[in-house]
Amino acid sequence: MKFIGEALKNAFKNILRNKLVNFLCLGIIAFTLLVLGIFNTISFQLSKTINKLSENIEAIFYLKDDANRDQVEALIQKVQASLLTREIKFTSKDEAEAKFVGEFPELTYIVKEFDVSPFPSSIGVKFRQNADAFTQIESFVNEIRNSDIIESVQLNVDWAKKISMAKRFVYMVGAFLTFILLFVSIFVIFNVIKLNIFYRQDEITIFELVGATRWYVRSPFLIEGFLLGLLGGILAGLLLFLTLRILTLYRDSIWNLIKQFIDFRRLPLKIYLQLVLIGPLIGLFSAALSLKRFLKAAAVE
Amino acid sequence: MIQFFHVSKQYVKNYFALNDINISIEKGEFIFLTGASGAGKSTLLKLIYKEEMPSKGQILIDSVNINLIPDNKLYRLRRQIGIIFQDFKLLMNRTVLENVAIPLVVRGERKSIVDKKIDSVLTLVGLQHRKRYLTSHISGGEQQRVAIARAIIGNPKIIIADEPTGNLDTELTIEIIRIFERINASGITTIIATHDLNLLNLFPKRTIKLDKGLLLFDRPAEASE
Repeated sequence: MKFIGEALKNAFKNILRNKLVNFLCLGIIAFTLLVLGIFNTISFQLSKTINKLSENIEAIFYLKDDANRDQVEALIQKVQASLLTREIKFTSKDEAEAKFVGEFPELTYIVKEFDVSPFPSSIGVKFRQNADAFTQIESFVNEIRNSDIIESVQLNVDWAKKISMAKRFVYMVGAFLTFILLFVSIFVIFNVIKLNIFYRQDEITIFELVGATRWYVRSPFLIEGFLLGLLGGILAGLLLFLTLRILTLYRDSIWNLIKQFIDFRRLPLKIYLQLVLIGPLIGLFSAALSLKRFLKAAAVE
Repeated sequence: MIQFFHVSKQYVKNYFALNDINISIEKGEFIFLTGASGAGKSTLLKLIYKEEMPSKGQILIDSVNINLIPDNKLYRLRRQIGIIFQDFKLLMNRTVLENVAIPLVVRGERKSIVDKKIDSVLTLVGLQHRKRYLTSHISGGEQQRVAIARAIIGNPKIIIADEPTGNLDTELTIEIIRIFERINASGITTIIATHDLNLLNLFPKRTIKLDKGLLLFDRPAEASE
């Protein structure tokens, strides 16, 4: 316990000693994580929208008039067996006519001119919520379309597909930018720790010569990296929170379109936790890298 | 206790900082290691506390081959050795007390034990009255004594001093060597590297002389007297 206290004290001393460098370092980590957070937020909101849309995706298989009962039953069973299917509904020719009449009573006279219902019977299928299932739904629908008793199929996933593509694009841009900025963060922390190692070279040499363990010598630097990352992560979380709050205030006037499907007020804790956890990991990794590269050399000199 | 078996050290090709050294130092001995600059004194001392590795040969301390001690266990060896450097290697922005306490602090000793031991070693080196001073605010002789206090506070089995009187006048030199004698009297093996011939005459101890990396002579204490 005393040892951890000592290591923490030394780590804080290091941070306060090089205020400017550490402040810059903190800013870069926070910016990196903020970018990650923003792209994660957009990606998260788009996923939510896609889920909402996929809830409403419905395929309607119009059946040929000569389809017999057994063929229809077999088709219904096949559709039901799919994991994608959430709900299935058979509409007979008469039910279709009744529905049309119900929806368009002023056109009833046209329907009455036919002896039998002019509407085809159909099987309506609703799918399970799954943001990335559009391709699967399409291939499933195409498979069913080949059935002999299918006249035509109605399926509209274009809008959802476009949003899904946008999400993938946002994700990729976010991943690319995050990767670059992570690299920059690691580089900055690496060099900050390097500076501190050289600054404390005498101390390190003395500690090692009087019998300090490797862990005792290294831990303040690792803790320093960890703290820089943690503070950067917290700062990024706060900035993200503030950004979303401010956007919420102005969203009505700015983004009329976006506001329809993005809920700015609620963001899962997971995204904030991600920022706060990734920060210290970057810090620890960079500090360990710097220690490995510079500590031995510094101690020997 | 400390044994060198055919130890050689080469920093560069075709130049031996130490060449085929065989020496044996018993527990509690007081030894002067002498020779001109570049004779290999510092290298020999560094080999004992494993700041350097021999190019050839073996070094045994209490029958343990120190070449085989891995880096992560090196602290066990270092805790048995108190080292005093010519340039003192003190932290100038810290007080005498803080400097002396370092070996105990890194071992995680309790404050009460640290305080007690500090009082005892500062009394031994005559620096009780300076313990709250910044190290940069005391004289060279006092800094040397701080370095000695730091070396002995961890109860080492061996004290190694590399030119500890190099920067001091005769009076202070004698004072410092007397402190080493008191330390040695408590059974701590003491090895002092020096090129000061007067010191060897004033304190007739076992003397090992090196010359260009070779062992020139190993004269016992009686012969020096």
